[in-house]
Amino acid sequence: MEINFLVMLIIIPLVVSIINFILPRNLQKLFTLAGIGYSIYIVYILYTQKAESASFFGSIILSVDKLGLLTLSFIQLLSFIILIFSLKGLDKEIEREYFILYPLTVAFCNGVILSINSISFMIFWGLSGLTLYLLGLLGKTSDTPKTIKKTFILIGGSDAFLIMGFVLLAYLNPTINWSLNNSQLPLNSLSAYISFFFLLIAAFTKAGGFPFHTWVPDFSKDAPVESAAFLPASLDKFLGIFLLAKIVTGYFNIDFSINLIIISLGALTVITAVMMAMNQHNGKKLLGYHAVSQVGYMIMGVGSGNVLAFAGGLFHMINHTIYKSCLFLSFGSVEKKTGTSELDDLGGLGKKMPVTFTCSLIAAFSISGIPPFNGFFSKWMIYQGLFNQVKEISSLEKILLLICIILALFGSALTLASFMKFIHAVYLGKRISTFDKITEAPFNQLFSNSILAFLCISFGLLSLQIPLSIFIYPALTEMNLIIPDFIGLYNPTLILFLFGIAFIVGISFFLFSPKIRYDNVYLGGSLPEEKFRIAGTEFYNEIRNMKPLKSIYDWADKKYFDLYEVGTKGTFKLSDLFQKAHPGQLQLYLLYVVAGLLIFLLLI
Amino acid sequence: MKIDYIFYLLIFPGLLFISILGLLIGWVDRKVSARFQFRVGPPLFQNFNDFFKLLGKETMLVKEGVITIFIIAPFIAFAMIVLVSSIIGTSLFYNNSFGGDLIVVMYLLMINSVMIILGGSSTGNVYSSLGAGREIKLLLADELAFILICLVPIIKSGFQLQLDGIVSSQLQNGSYIGSLSGFIAFVVGLLCIQAKMALPPFHIPEAETEIVEGPFMEYSGTLLAFWKLNGFMLYVTFPFLLILLFWGGFNPEGPGIIWFILKYLLIVLLIIVIKNTNPRIRIDTALNFFWKYASVIALLAVVLAVFGY
Repeated sequence: MEINFLVMLIIIPLVVSIINFILPRNLQKLFTLAGIGYSIYIVYILYTQKAESASFFGSIILSVDKLGLLTLSFIQLLSFIILIFSLKGLDKEIEREYFILYPLTVAFCNGVILSINSISFMIFWGLSGLTLYLLGLLGKTSDTPKTIKKTFILIGGSDAFLIMGFVLLAYLNPTINWSLNNSQLPLNSLSAYISFFFLLIAAFTKAGGFPFHTWVPDFSKDAPVESAAFLPASLDKFLGIFLLAKIVTGYFNIDFSINLIIISLGALTVITAVMMAMNQHNGKKLLGYHAVSQVGYMIMGVGSGNVLAFAGGLFHMINHTIYKSCLFLSFGSVEKKTGTSELDDLGGLGKKMPVTFTCSLIAAFSISGIPPFNGFFSKWMIYQGLFNQVKEISSLEKILLLICIILALFGSALTLASFMKFIHAVYLGKRISTFDKITEAPFNQLFSNSILAFLCISFGLLSLQIPLSIFIYPALTEMNLIIPDFIGLYNPTLILFLFGIAFIVGISFFLFSPKIRYDNVYLGGSLPEEKFRIAGTEFYNEIRNMKPLKSIYDWADKKYFDLYEVGTKGTFKLSDLFQKAHPGQLQLYLLYVVAGLLIFLLLI
Repeated sequence: MKIDYIFYLLIFPGLLFISILGLLIGWVDRKVSARFQFRVGPPLFQNFNDFFKLLGKETMLVKEGVITIFIIAPFIAFAMIVLVSSIIGTSLFYNNSFGGDLIVVMYLLMINSVMIILGGSSTGNVYSSLGAGREIKLLLADELAFILICLVPIIKSGFQLQLDGIVSSQLQNGSYIGSLSGFIAFVVGLLCIQAKMALPPFHIPEAETEIVEGPFMEYSGTLLAFWKLNGFMLYVTFPFLLILLFWGGFNPEGPGIIWFILKYLLIVLLIIVIKNTNPRIRIDTALNFFWKYASVIALLAVVLAVFGY
């Protein structure tokens, strides 16, 4: 019997998960590693051979295109790297459950990407949400149950929108028979619009786009760091953006006004999330807000309707998962060593954990879009695509799009600022004396972080040669999209080469310095006591207290912008109203009956 | 081809040119500032003497600090300024872009502040940390307005991102400073570079009398020499960028070189005048000023540019 690799890509991790139920812990780890390793091999095979599909019940259920292959490749790669991190250092109490859920999540995510049928897509999508819930439950903070309930309600709610969107899509396009081919449905009826926006809500919620993002920061704070790096930072981004890419290029044929709405939502996501991130005191929550903020760039790129920005958006999706996993994992190493994720309680660990610090710094530069790291290249592509787009639209649309570009550009500066605070609070500044005996993270964690940091650099320097040429451009070609020339100019290898020369010239002066002396910090004669320590979390108090931002921050603290909280309060208010309307008095009920009868008579 | 780039980088308009010009312009700054205060001011080569003297001094490193970052920060900033100056200078003087466009330059320019923050806070000194916090807030303050003013030449040149394209467009159609949007953007740009160079009234991160040079407090010897040199080199980089973006670039024909020198000196003079006539403001005042006034005015310039004014 011929092996169908598409089915294998779901079956292998699924089987690993089931067998992990009975295996002892060490074997569980090895078995999971082997299973994910084999999945990587299958993706490689899929790249080299002709596309195939798998049919069940008489219709094609699984198939893969180049966009799917791109996503699958990085799902397996990131899963493998994060798995290596999880091998040692995971809380012993949750190890068994973790290694059962981990391959299960990979199987379901693979299922989503491979599904060409909307029913199987919905099933796998829902199941991936369920494993997200279960992986989150492994968290140990006091807020974990509340946060995970919130995540489950938001993600579950978005699943309902996904189902309604797909049902409407199938209703509007009966010939496709639940198949998810590129139907290119024009948005010319209310049902089509509703279907489009329902699917958009599902994609936004999964990826963490504004205003459905609120579960991401809370989940990042209260779930184990491995789960946070694995799902909201990596796999959920792939699923959400994959769906968004399919919606805007395959399922629907949209005009520029819709593109503009998506771009605006993307820009809003960038700026609101990063403004929130700046004032966080918890490291994991700060990273969670950045995981939301970066989705904004992907949404802007993928939803722009411009090929260059679309490619940039996909590239940013890959880049984001790399640097964000690195940031989460390296901070995870710090959390495991120090026992806290509160930025106020950390500091000065750069000397004690130099490799973790370096990886974190590289990832922080990448996310802030510092050339020549990978985050810059994808952002640069998105900007160029948007500038290309600006040329061909009316003046008012131009102004709106330019404002979006400005917000995205400024979002980078804010991201940089936020990470300077983060780096200062964790690795620089004065170290608390209790951390004097801290040592570097275990080898497996350093290995994972180093690989991710290496990818940040290599994808930045060889953007055209590796990620774009091997993964992204073939996907665009298959979608019949013609890749335009860059309007700007950026040569990362030349920049690094020349920068290197100038740096060597500079530092050689230091190497020939006459004398070097080591001494304590100088505080004008005062002793460097801990009470004078600057944690760094207070850096942006001036911005926090600035008018009118103060009011907005206060409202955000009161959760006025959190759809979940607002929805919860609204539901309770409504039920309270109903409760008051039913006091148990017979006369009142009789009145309701009469009033209802009157309304009924009036209506007919 | 690579040799050309190395020439641009190391000789002209890169390292040698901007470091010498920067130190000389630094002397102009010191001399004019001295005249403002009824002093005589230093001799012509004082900055050179200071730089070389610092190179010969002992370098102190903080035992408990992250020494690697402390050492490499000034040199990364130095290399970045040399590189950006070469990119800007090559577009100005050779009308030939290499390496990166305006977006790349905007992002690279942030590295100077990043290195000041990392280098300063690597020591664990409380004053350095305070200064680092102020430095990043100052970057945020001016960056929004800076992004907005950089958009004006992009819009006016028909959405060209390459620096030589912006220069060529001005050589053909006249300087953008002649238009209303270009003039407004230039004025806001002047204030932005004042803040980017952390010159009075925006010398908030260093604030000698208050937080004792802030991030530079623990620096000495060669490392301090390079921070000082970086500061002087920025006297060349930023004015050149303003000339490139708004004031017609450099025209090699006729009296072009004289005009260019006059334009450059006028910008430097304006910077020095602003520097000497304003006291230091607080960081929240700077944030308010840039976000609520300068950025709004710069946004107006962007809108005017879209409508062709």
